[in-house]
Amino acid sequence: MSHLRLIPQPPSRSSSDVECLDAFQKELNYIHRTFLRLGTAPSEVEDLVQELFLVLRRLWHDYDAERPLRPYLFGIAFRIASSHQRKYAREVKFGVVKVADPRPGPDDVLESNRARALVLEALEQVPLPRRAVLVLHELDQVSVAGVASMLSIPLFTVYSRLRKGRRELDRAIRRILRRGDAG
Amino acid sequence: MIRRREGSSLDLTSLLEQERQIAAVPQSVRGRMLSRAEAALRARECEVAPPPATSSPARIPWAFAAGLVCLAGAAGGAAAYEIVARAHQTATTAVPPAPIASLGDEASPVIDRTVLDRTLGQPEIASPGRSAQPRADLRREELRVLEPARVAVARGEFAKAMRPIAEHARRFKEGRLAEEREALRVKALAGLGRSEEARRAAAAFASRFPRSPLLPVVGQISSARQ
Repeated sequence: MSHLRLIPQPPSRSSSDVECLDAFQKELNYIHRTFLRLGTAPSEVEDLVQELFLVLRRLWHDYDAERPLRPYLFGIAFRIASSHQRKYAREVKFGVVKVADPRPGPDDVLESNRARALVLEALEQVPLPRRAVLVLHELDQVSVAGVASMLSIPLFTVYSRLRKGRRELDRAIRRILRRGDAG
Repeated sequence: MIRRREGSSLDLTSLLEQERQIAAVPQSVRGRMLSRAEAALRARECEVAPPPATSSPARIPWAFAAGLVCLAGAAGGAAAYEIVARAHQTATTAVPPAPIASLGDEASPVIDRTVLDRTLGQPEIASPGRSAQPRADLRREELRVLEPARVAVARGEFAKAMRPIAEHARRFKEGRLAEEREALRVKALAGLGRSEEARRAAAAFASRFPRSPLLPVVGQISSARQ
């Protein structure tokens, strides 16, 4: 059987890669939703999720397992989404038509889906720096101090962005609702 | 669109409360994203795979035998090449060259390399040495060639994506990642503002891969960028 040794054995996957893939798989729903919350077009989300995975794999050996994973993933997602948005800032966005979820279901489920769609649409109208603070604090429920440390901004800036962001989000929701009522 | 129910206030807090629940990604999308992550890991494994050690005593006789075979093959190949080259030189001076189309003719003893490669499902420019390469290696090679295009498209660097796409098309025209490559081509062309070419590429994609899961995205991109 020694001749078989001439054929190179497939390399075994390192434990670090396995851990990284497990973590990615576990938090895939969160990562996907975070990109949508940060205003990434649905047609682009899959590409950015892949980009996040590549970054995560590269940084995995630096990740401290004692720290919560989601804020860490958010930090990577935020940087990727910001960079992506800068590149696309001068381009006309894809004409993706957002359709309501057509699946039949109880009223409360439908209402909940619409509420989520409404929040996403309204979040898109909040500038990214304030949107990131809103998503982290209001949706991911990270403390103000945690947001400040993650985004590397002063505590005072977090408070002011939060205050202004809430106001903008509230206005955006009302605007969308008015448009719906008028339509 | 959300409408306020009678007696209920649709305030910001309750809306945010609902959005806090993370919606599950559809299974098909989830599967696609995980496959891509797995593929990236496999590609990396391929890159970091250590070269096989040759100093092991048990392998020395085999390495020696393989070396002898290689030497004999090279010598034979050189001799054959010399003979063929001389014969060709004589033939070209006496007979006008045959039209290229006749290379694929069944009656002709010369086998069209392209047709042969397609039949075998091997890359078109695979050299005789590489034709024996395991398919797994070819797949890894395909992935290695195309991965820069995918990364470039994801980063919005569409011009940078065109070279690996062209290289993949040249080397693996009918490869396993041909579908992904053509989808990337549409995306890159659309991103570069070459709408007409993007539209043509999307039409070719639709006719070549009518059941592709990427078809809606490809159609959407090409129509949105026109």
